[in-house]
Amino acid sequence: MDCLVCHDTTGKYKKDPPAAGMPEKDVDLKLVAENVGHSSRATCGACHFNGGGGDAIKHADMSRQLLEPDRNCDVHMGGYDFSCTECHKTRNHKISGRSSSVPVAEGEVTCQQCHSEEPHYCGSLLDHHLNKHAKTLDCNVCHSPVFAKCKATKTWWDWSKAGDKNRKPKKDKYGQPDYDWKKGEFKWEESAVPSYAWDSGYMNRVLIGDKVNINAAVINLTEPVGSIKDPASKITPFKIMKGVQAVDTDNNYIIVPHLFPRDKEDKTAYWKNLDWEKAFEDGMKSVGLAYSGAYRWKETWMYWRLEHEVMPADMALSCVQCHDSLKGEKTCNRCHQDNRDVDFKNIAHKGTDFSFMKSQGRDVEHLIEKTDYINFKALGYKGDPIIHGGRFKKLPMGYKDQ
Amino acid sequence: MIKKIVYFTALMLVTALMPMHLSIHKASAAWTAPDQEDAKKRAKEVVPFIKEYKDEHKTARKISLMDAGVSINDVKDVYFLLDSPIIKEREDHYEPVRFAHKRHAALTKDCSKCHHLRPKDEKELETTRCSACHQDSFNSEHPERIGLKAAYHQQCIECHRTEAKGPVDCKGCHLQNVPDHKNLVKLPDNADVFQVTAECLRCHDAQANDMLTTAHWLWRGPSPYTTGHRKDIMHGKGTTALNNY
Repeated sequence: MDCLVCHDTTGKYKKDPPAAGMPEKDVDLKLVAENVGHSSRATCGACHFNGGGGDAIKHADMSRQLLEPDRNCDVHMGGYDFSCTECHKTRNHKISGRSSSVPVAEGEVTCQQCHSEEPHYCGSLLDHHLNKHAKTLDCNVCHSPVFAKCKATKTWWDWSKAGDKNRKPKKDKYGQPDYDWKKGEFKWEESAVPSYAWDSGYMNRVLIGDKVNINAAVINLTEPVGSIKDPASKITPFKIMKGVQAVDTDNNYIIVPHLFPRDKEDKTAYWKNLDWEKAFEDGMKSVGLAYSGAYRWKETWMYWRLEHEVMPADMALSCVQCHDSLKGEKTCNRCHQDNRDVDFKNIAHKGTDFSFMKSQGRDVEHLIEKTDYINFKALGYKGDPIIHGGRFKKLPMGYKDQ
Repeated sequence: MIKKIVYFTALMLVTALMPMHLSIHKASAAWTAPDQEDAKKRAKEVVPFIKEYKDEHKTARKISLMDAGVSINDVKDVYFLLDSPIIKEREDHYEPVRFAHKRHAALTKDCSKCHHLRPKDEKELETTRCSACHQDSFNSEHPERIGLKAAYHQQCIECHRTEAKGPVDCKGCHLQNVPDHKNLVKLPDNADVFQVTAECLRCHDAQANDMLTTAHWLWRGPSPYTTGHRKDIMHGKGTTALNNY
């Protein structure tokens, strides 16, 4: 058992990759042991920021940027210096948090645990409407309108293209490679618009050995469970990790390949022998399943809920970025029969200005002036709910459908 | 199946760790979190002790604040860090407490709940910080006055109990300081990993046993939010989880 990997405070503890979990030889273990402390973003991040084999690859909302984050990238960690376990509370070394990528959960963490079900608390006109929104929207729809804010993340991974040692990787505009002969072809995105879906907190998952529909256009390895009809479901932002991987077409399950050579004698590891058939057979053998010998490359998607990198409140989405109908309005009289002295424009336009993010070097120029940000129709609405009605309520607004 | 899964767990652990060069980052001295930095500075301040207060009962005080027009909109300092040198001078066992001041003002909707008395001097502000009236405990000139630590605990815990909201235990509000291990750890120079773990376990055996039952050790665990597997306890990255990366 390695206590130091989570309790190091010196930054001097390092693992040696080929030593399978052992630290590097020159680490002064006595010094590290004498300086143990609480876990930190640095200790948790040593593994979790590197998910998928490197910085920011897997998680859209976690990267080494969070070691010393800019306030605009993550207000909790960058503004208030939160450590991971201040939200992911632990008891008896069990760490709370639901994962969208893996099934395990040892307790849950929600924004509401600190911010309550009525998180906008100043009692203003806007707060009143925002708290109503909080019953239908996950906080991060507005408070984290783009993912991979400060560092590009991998969004496409095509394993079928792997194996070409002669292909030279090209760097994209974020400086990230489009190819690796071991792993295939990639796409990366920075400050990207999430995919929005109804989510109740439950996930459907394809686990090892589960039957899949090999004729479906896309196989969802994970997907949120939720519905516009379910009052407990909320519109939730996701990064969808899209990729191409192998499926056993006789047994109808996803294939787990054997990639990393066990030793010098290894004759089946893909990264040594570049033979998928052998890698499939060995990989499946190690999970106790047969490989039929027949496979096909299939597109698969994984839904990853966006939780971290919450932006400062003044950078949340404005009303007009979703509700096009509010853009030309001068008063509240579309919905209310009054004409109070309210600076309506100030309210409806209050929020993020992507031009500010652009000035900070983010790739968001195309988002300036964007409206219908979350795509109402794709979520099951007829269109902007102000015009067409909400999911449970249709206010008599005196306007016919346009 | 289970045997194979255990084998696979080991395989996954190895392959998962292989590609990356795992190293723990040491924060540079230059980086600071601005909101936290402001709060830290404020937490260090000690203001002059207010000797005399205006003796109003609860209702009178509440009405006074309402009449003075004091509301949540007057809250300038949204966030405090409770880490006063007044307390630390006597004892220092816990890390600072994060206190969302404006959020609490909004929740209670009654400033007098905490700002329960005001200084007698009319020139003073209507609301003052806790540490203006509550400072060192056992002040013989003001034996009726509780110290700052007691004031915080009495105020926070009592209200959290009444409202059945918010933490009432020590660690719910602040982490315990980790004692300096320099004199506790007994290791030879050039200690190996097994000696280190044995030394940790000399005192932390219970924690080590806890660790053995966690998902971070087993790479599997309960899956209460996965359709069709809500009662299972064996799914995880080390057993059945699939991915496409």
